[in-house]
Amino acid sequence: MSLAAELTGAAASRMSRRLLGAGPAEPAQRGRLLGCEQLAKAYGGGPPALDNVSFSMDKPQFTVLLGSSGSGKTTLLRSIAGLVSLDAGQIEVAGTALTRESLPSVRRCIGMVHQEFGLADRLTAAQNVMAGAAAGLSWSRLIFQAYPRDVRQRACELLAEVGLTELQANRKARDLSGGQRQRVGIARALIGAPQLFLADEPVANLDPQTACGILALLREAVTAHGAGVLCSLHQTDLACQFADRIIGLKAGRLVFDGPPADLTPDVIAALFAKPGEAAVPAPVAA
Amino acid sequence: MPDSETLPAPKPEAWRLKPAFDARIILVCLLASFALAFSAQRLDLGRLFTDVGAFLMASVGLSEASSIGEGMSGLANGMIPMVFDEQTPVEYVDDLDMRLARPFARLEQATTQETVLDPETLEIVTRQTETSVLVEPLGYLFLVLIKMLETVEIAIWATLFALVASLPLSVLCARNYAPHVLVYGAARTFVAFLRSVPELISALFLVLAFGFGAIPGIVALALHSIGFLAKFFAEDIESADVRSQEAVAVTGAGPFAVLRLAVLPQVLPSFTALTLYILDRNVRMATVIGLVGAGGIGQELKGRFDMFQYDRVATLLLVIFLTVLLLDFLAARIRRVLI
Repeated sequence: MSLAAELTGAAASRMSRRLLGAGPAEPAQRGRLLGCEQLAKAYGGGPPALDNVSFSMDKPQFTVLLGSSGSGKTTLLRSIAGLVSLDAGQIEVAGTALTRESLPSVRRCIGMVHQEFGLADRLTAAQNVMAGAAAGLSWSRLIFQAYPRDVRQRACELLAEVGLTELQANRKARDLSGGQRQRVGIARALIGAPQLFLADEPVANLDPQTACGILALLREAVTAHGAGVLCSLHQTDLACQFADRIIGLKAGRLVFDGPPADLTPDVIAALFAKPGEAAVPAPVAA
Repeated sequence: MPDSETLPAPKPEAWRLKPAFDARIILVCLLASFALAFSAQRLDLGRLFTDVGAFLMASVGLSEASSIGEGMSGLANGMIPMVFDEQTPVEYVDDLDMRLARPFARLEQATTQETVLDPETLEIVTRQTETSVLVEPLGYLFLVLIKMLETVEIAIWATLFALVASLPLSVLCARNYAPHVLVYGAARTFVAFLRSVPELISALFLVLAFGFGAIPGIVALALHSIGFLAKFFAEDIESADVRSQEAVAVTGAGPFAVLRLAVLPQVLPSFTALTLYILDRNVRMATVIGLVGAGGIGQELKGRFDMFQYDRVATLLLVIFLTVLLLDFLAARIRRVLI
């Protein structure tokens, strides 16, 4: 299903909640941070993008999804954010099962950053960050981008935290460098105080030095903000350097799950081997 | 794909590449040329070429006068010199007060010759009468400029109304933001209907409803512009980059927030360009719909044309041309500032 349909679906569910007189989304019960059970997804009858993927994250940690292009990392992250509808399986975020109805409330527990940054180029860095706090704002506030004082305050704090100056905060996103843009993206994801932080190839378009800086910031999301981070990467060295835990995906199947120390050269070779060149190793128990 | 792995790949010299033109394209071109030939026959299009040919031959002196040349030279003789002044006999002017007259106005004595039938002698005599005439050297130009201003005002109001109405309508016409597929279908149909009625036709009916003047012109132009703007706004919304939309949607914000914070910043330059184009177009169309009585310079143009006053028509056309040129220049400047 397309993003558009997903967005409209979210809208419909919000609307029905309002019509039924339901109050604002109830705070998620403290449970598992993230639970994925037997996720399956195939695009248009093609080979599976996700094939029976199950894992869970119980406490805030830096988890890296490692795999080559087309291994299903992006599909997994997008399905957790409710941007892709699954063929089968259950997702649970912060104790709430992800359904059509719970999507808006689940999304408020999630922050997400993208490979292409996903910023509005013509808005300033600060406006982009504050856009992350748009949920629940009235129409009039949205139209004039008149955010409440605490949101503005928080945006400035977060921008300073990710290393931007006041001058850069007021610069349009298109005038910032790639690394600065991704910092803005991280600040935007953090402004909603997420419990789960999803990062889809956050450093794919950045040079190695900038990439380390960005990943260090994501680590800080775990240590300073207490959020669980699920970050997809294809660079093994960066994964080993920053991750608490690595999940290896290959052709939509979970083939490795363990600490970076367990990621031996053999496992890496199998993980990035082309189909047919090497046997797929058996799934490693969590 | 498993199939491509099991089958042996063909050698490069055995590869077959897609031709740039295939039989289907050639067939379509052939059918189109047959249809055009048939249509040209029906419309007697051959006369276009013979007439233009005769005109070209005549203009270089190879043949006698051509029908086009005669028509054009007659029109040109009527148009030149253009009329910028206004001469009114003093007896037609109520409460003549030179202090209130237009700049450079003066009184002149004019002798007019009249050929009349003397009722007593039953002979035709030429009578000379001395009349006092109020001459305003730029009087007519001034009147034309006022009419042109009215036309531009009509266009601006029509564009403003169309912009305000088509912004929400375009959201209903965008497949990815319409609340329901039926709403989408209804909105698209409505917009297509608005676009399908030419302003000249709707102005014709609206003049019956609202009476002569600027209001039917504004409504007619606004309705057509809504049909145009809503469609193109909707297409911009549909083709906007999804990544920034997803980024805002993932925060749990509703579709309105996504539209405002992710879609609008992206499509704003395109919206501005489209609106300026529509303004430009509405100024031109506002002159045309004046022909059916919907206010502005068109009404004046139609009147003068019907009275065969081609010298005044020439003034009107000059002012319209210069105005459109000026607006084009201004629109380009505004676009450069905004984008």
